[in-house]
Amino acid sequence: MKKTLTINLGGTVYNIDEDAYLLLDNYLNNLRYHFRKNPEGEEIVRDMEIRIAELFNECLSGGGQVVTMENVEAVISRMGKPEDLNDGEEEAAAEASDPERKKDVKRRLFRNPDDRVLGGVASGIAAYFGWDVLALRLLFVVLGIFFHWLLLAYLIAWIVIPLARTATEKLQMRGEPVNMENIGRTVTGGFDGKDSAEAPKMVWHKIGDVIVKIIGFILKLCLILLAICCFPILFVALIVAFALLLSAVGILVSVPSLFYEFSPVIDWNMVGAFPVTSGVMAVCCLLAVGIPIAGLVQVLMQVFGNWKPMSTVAKLILILVWLVAIIVGVIVFFDSPFMGSVML
Amino acid sequence: MHSILAMCIFVPYKIVWIMNVDNVKSQMRKGMLEYCILLLLHREASYASDIIQKLKEAKLIVVEGTLYPLLTRLKNDGLLSYEWVESTQGPPRKYYRLTDEGMEFLENLETAWDELSATVSHLRMS
Repeated sequence: MKKTLTINLGGTVYNIDEDAYLLLDNYLNNLRYHFRKNPEGEEIVRDMEIRIAELFNECLSGGGQVVTMENVEAVISRMGKPEDLNDGEEEAAAEASDPERKKDVKRRLFRNPDDRVLGGVASGIAAYFGWDVLALRLLFVVLGIFFHWLLLAYLIAWIVIPLARTATEKLQMRGEPVNMENIGRTVTGGFDGKDSAEAPKMVWHKIGDVIVKIIGFILKLCLILLAICCFPILFVALIVAFALLLSAVGILVSVPSLFYEFSPVIDWNMVGAFPVTSGVMAVCCLLAVGIPIAGLVQVLMQVFGNWKPMSTVAKLILILVWLVAIIVGVIVFFDSPFMGSVML
Repeated sequence: MHSILAMCIFVPYKIVWIMNVDNVKSQMRKGMLEYCILLLLHREASYASDIIQKLKEAKLIVVEGTLYPLLTRLKNDGLLSYEWVESTQGPPRKYYRLTDEGMEFLENLETAWDELSATVSHLRMS
């Protein structure tokens, strides 16, 4: 028995087996990825979808009702893999983008559902670092005898590390490129000669998973309770942050009067006389105060609002901008006529 | 006070070229493909599956997907145009036809082909 899905392909409705759907979806995504630099890429893929629909019609005219894995595989081999579809002009571009594509491969830490003794933690870690599973397990057992906290660490790892459920996740776990071929191998079970569907799921795996889920749930509940208890504090912090932001704007607007507060002896005609210097200082001031506040808000929203974490590049750029703003601000201040008047 | 920020960007770029018979053959076919598509469409407007059928019969393409980027590029270059035609079996189809520019292009290619084939047969004879 297999689950089927209903899809609309090129304007016609088809029933398709779940595994066949995964393969087809991945194939189309890979095509889109392949033609991403082509301005007409969407149109090409749409036309190809229509053709695939026609081929399905041919397959189903024999009396079948459901598009199966074999149908999709046959269609893909007829249409060709994305890398075979290079139109003369794009060849050079495709070659250039190839190493980039290999670099895209990112390993992610998952628990391995296909090769597990307890939670699949060890084999997940082994896959992540490319170590031998058996060696890691033995090492873990031996160390576990001497250091009992390792058992706790294992339990936490079981709770925290997600199970690799989809074909994509399994490929990421192994650090293999997520492309049509590999997905096909994983979906059809040709991977490592193991079929996750056929592998009998041990009773203690189920029991272990349930226990871990319960512990995880309890921990999550504790965290949520903690968060609720801390909410007033965070609320206050948020208000303070907001107030800081407002005052930063205020500072920008009223740079001259602020300096007046600091040093009443300043000749304020100078601000008018050096508008560029004043402007630069105001901008630096805003950046120096604003970036940490923005970072704080981002972190808060990441924890409580499901925002995506900032990319490393973005973080580095922000930190760089912040440092530059402070340095430039200080230099400009000490270099400016204001310094002289403050000294007075 | 004045500092210069220098940035170096390294673009890894590597071309691997393996020469073999299959490669040369497929290069030859690729070069001919555009010409053959224009020839086919010169006779009558047709939609992608018709073209695929004929090209496959002539063993000019191996995988069907090759045709689509090519058609789109020829269309963008103004050599082809298409219109949607209702079909009795299934959704409407895109029928491609040669534009005037395409006709001119085809004539040019025809001359070029004649020259090429004359050169090749001449070389073979001698």
